[in-house]
Amino acid sequence: MERFRFLIWRPVQMLPVLLGVTLVTFVLVRSLPGDPVRVLLGPRARPEMIAATRHQFGLDEPLPVQYLFFLKNLLAGDLGRSIMYRAPVFEVIAERLAPTFLLIAYALVLSILLATTFATLAARNEGRFADHLVRGFCTAGLGLPGFWLGILLIMLLSVRLGWFPVSGYGETWLGHLHHLFLPALTVAIALAPVLTRNLRATLIEQMGADHAQAARSRGLTEGEVFRRHVVPNALLPTVNLLGVNLGWLIGGTVVIESVFSIPGLGQLMVASIFTRDYMLVQGITLVFALTIVAVNLTVDVLTVALDPRVVL
Amino acid sequence: MIGRTVRRVGLALLTSAATWTAAWAEGTLKIGRDQDSVYMDPILVSQNADVWVLNNINALLVRNTRDATGVEPDLAQSWTISEDGKTYTFTLRENLLFSDGSPLKASDVKFSIERLRDGEGSVFGSMFTVIDAIEIPDDRTVVFQLKERNEPFLTVLALFAAAILPEAAVTADYDSFSAMPIGAGAFRLVEWRRGDRIVLERNPHYWEPGLPKLDRVEWHYIPNDNTRILQLQAGELDAMIFVPFNRIAELDAAEGIEVHLDPSSRMDHILINHARPPLDDVRVRRALAKGIDVDAIIQAVTFGYGTPANSYIPAGGMFYNPDNPRWTHDPEGAKALLSEAGASDLSLKFLVQAGDANYEQVAVLVQDQLGRLGIKVAIEKQETGQAWDTIVEGDYDLNTNYWTNDVIDPDQKTGFVLYGDDPDVLSYYTRYNNPKVNELILQARIEPDQDKRRALYYEIQRIAQEDVNWLGLYYSPFRNASRSYVKNFFQNPMGRFMLETTSIEK
Repeated sequence: MERFRFLIWRPVQMLPVLLGVTLVTFVLVRSLPGDPVRVLLGPRARPEMIAATRHQFGLDEPLPVQYLFFLKNLLAGDLGRSIMYRAPVFEVIAERLAPTFLLIAYALVLSILLATTFATLAARNEGRFADHLVRGFCTAGLGLPGFWLGILLIMLLSVRLGWFPVSGYGETWLGHLHHLFLPALTVAIALAPVLTRNLRATLIEQMGADHAQAARSRGLTEGEVFRRHVVPNALLPTVNLLGVNLGWLIGGTVVIESVFSIPGLGQLMVASIFTRDYMLVQGITLVFALTIVAVNLTVDVLTVALDPRVVL
Repeated sequence: MIGRTVRRVGLALLTSAATWTAAWAEGTLKIGRDQDSVYMDPILVSQNADVWVLNNINALLVRNTRDATGVEPDLAQSWTISEDGKTYTFTLRENLLFSDGSPLKASDVKFSIERLRDGEGSVFGSMFTVIDAIEIPDDRTVVFQLKERNEPFLTVLALFAAAILPEAAVTADYDSFSAMPIGAGAFRLVEWRRGDRIVLERNPHYWEPGLPKLDRVEWHYIPNDNTRILQLQAGELDAMIFVPFNRIAELDAAEGIEVHLDPSSRMDHILINHARPPLDDVRVRRALAKGIDVDAIIQAVTFGYGTPANSYIPAGGMFYNPDNPRWTHDPEGAKALLSEAGASDLSLKFLVQAGDANYEQVAVLVQDQLGRLGIKVAIEKQETGQAWDTIVEGDYDLNTNYWTNDVIDPDQKTGFVLYGDDPDVLSYYTRYNNPKVNELILQARIEPDQDKRRALYYEIQRIAQEDVNWLGLYYSPFRNASRSYVKNFFQNPMGRFMLETTSIEK
């Protein structure tokens, strides 16, 4: 438990980071040319109406004042109102959380499954055919553009074979899993190679390490050596790699949700940037930032749990 | 281990089979669209995605006919207009009900139209300020007193924003109403999942007997064109809208799918900024008109599905002059005009909305065509949100844009596009201002004689074309597609999907 002491301080340390995120987002999105109210009301709206609506959303106040309002509301748990939907940002985001997080989790599970299977296969058969096959798949997976691959999978598995729905989110838990399989697979095919190569390398390294040799000399079978000594030591770097890649993953949902028409945060983020929905952009960015903070924390916890030598 | 996998795969296949059978449920039409709904309150709505859903769930006093050449009774069964054109008296049908069963009375009409005229944030409110007062002598009679004669008034009442809403529901709990609206149209809203779909079911209290034929309509939001087409091909959608020009032939040839190219009021054009010299010189503008090759653009961009625009009024529109002269492609004549105007060494900034593949193509073609006249065209891409501000501020020379009519009377578009004395609109931000045209516009607005009115609009069309108020490009049809078992999937020129007569026959 001593080792987990860092958990208490970490949230406090994260606060300035999150604050920085909100500030940068605020400044960036507002320095974009284009007026959200003009986008909202369309080209035929009269200037008086545009001015009245801007006032309604507090957009005619000076920028520092607007930022302070935002912070004040944030502390009270209020993320503001979406200009586009004229509804509380919190509600709009809450509606879209589930599909995106389910997609990310699904993609993670698939990636981990693929990565551990392939890496193990490759490491145990180093230099032989299986190893070369896995490394070939990795290169292909890294090289294929996700957008293109997604559409290809839809054409083959949905339109031609009818095994999976083309897009959307579906009803019921089983429906969600069914609908999200192709998008999750598309992401996994892009993410798994990175994890696979890294895990394979660390596995091979650990398989040749002194402690593994020592275990073999004590009479343990190769399988037992692998499971009890090699894997735990090899996991750590890959877990950290996973944590780093999660940020990429979250950003990638934007493209994937667009191709597969999943009503999630990624799609919402794109729409809110195009319509200059400032409050919504800030809200979603904050959610993403919090997610990444939480993930990094989890990775740190896992690191400490897996390796008693680590002190954070 | 294996057993578990087999069971899982089996379950997945079964589920997909179940999904397919559910999709074949009688009377359900699933339409894929590229825009998501944002509002359900008709006075706040400005984007087509919202308009087209509202058309299904709301009803009006009068509505456009199927071919949009006139108006016909909707909730009102008849009306009279006074001699001086300032008093309109409508008689509502008997026993009208909203979708929740509550009665629709004259007071609801008065409430809805007054709210449209005066309400905060009402996008089209300015079109109704000509109404001085609304009187309701009894539950089925509504009398509009106008401030002055206004020929377009009847067609303006057919605007989607003039939907008749239940006063009780709107005033009692507006937030609930805007989340789950109640109307008197052929369908009623039963589910609204933002970013996903809108589900409508037949309105049992709809006034037209025997309609709608469908039990259920679902509008699915699928922004990616390819995905939408794939869904239609896979049979997950029964219909889709906005087929890209370059996929029309392929889809139409596909088995089981039909493409519908219903005539629309859409016109694509290139705005010219008259406030930036030398574009204020009519000779330079005429040179531009002669310099571009509209036929080549139509072939390349619309694959021949568009028709050349010879007037700012769309083909088939009210008082459209099919013989209005068109500027023909004449590069030599154009060069002569340019040197006459002393503008042979011209440099222009062409503003294009990013992400619109068609407009990007047009810009490149125009850049090439004008380049042959010695004009240097610099293409500047901006996102839609930013582009509109740029246009309003006038920081452009040329810009691709389009217009679709909201009402069938030409006054709305004419006023917006050609009336130079409106400081808020500046002739669609082209800053075009011809006092003669302004005068004709005001005259046409109050001219009761149809023939004289037609003559006025013909004159306006002629002068606008001579002045080159803008560069007309093409008219294009709506591009929708549906599976063959969907009958009567039709979009009228005002953009309304006439879903009450659509049916599914399997």
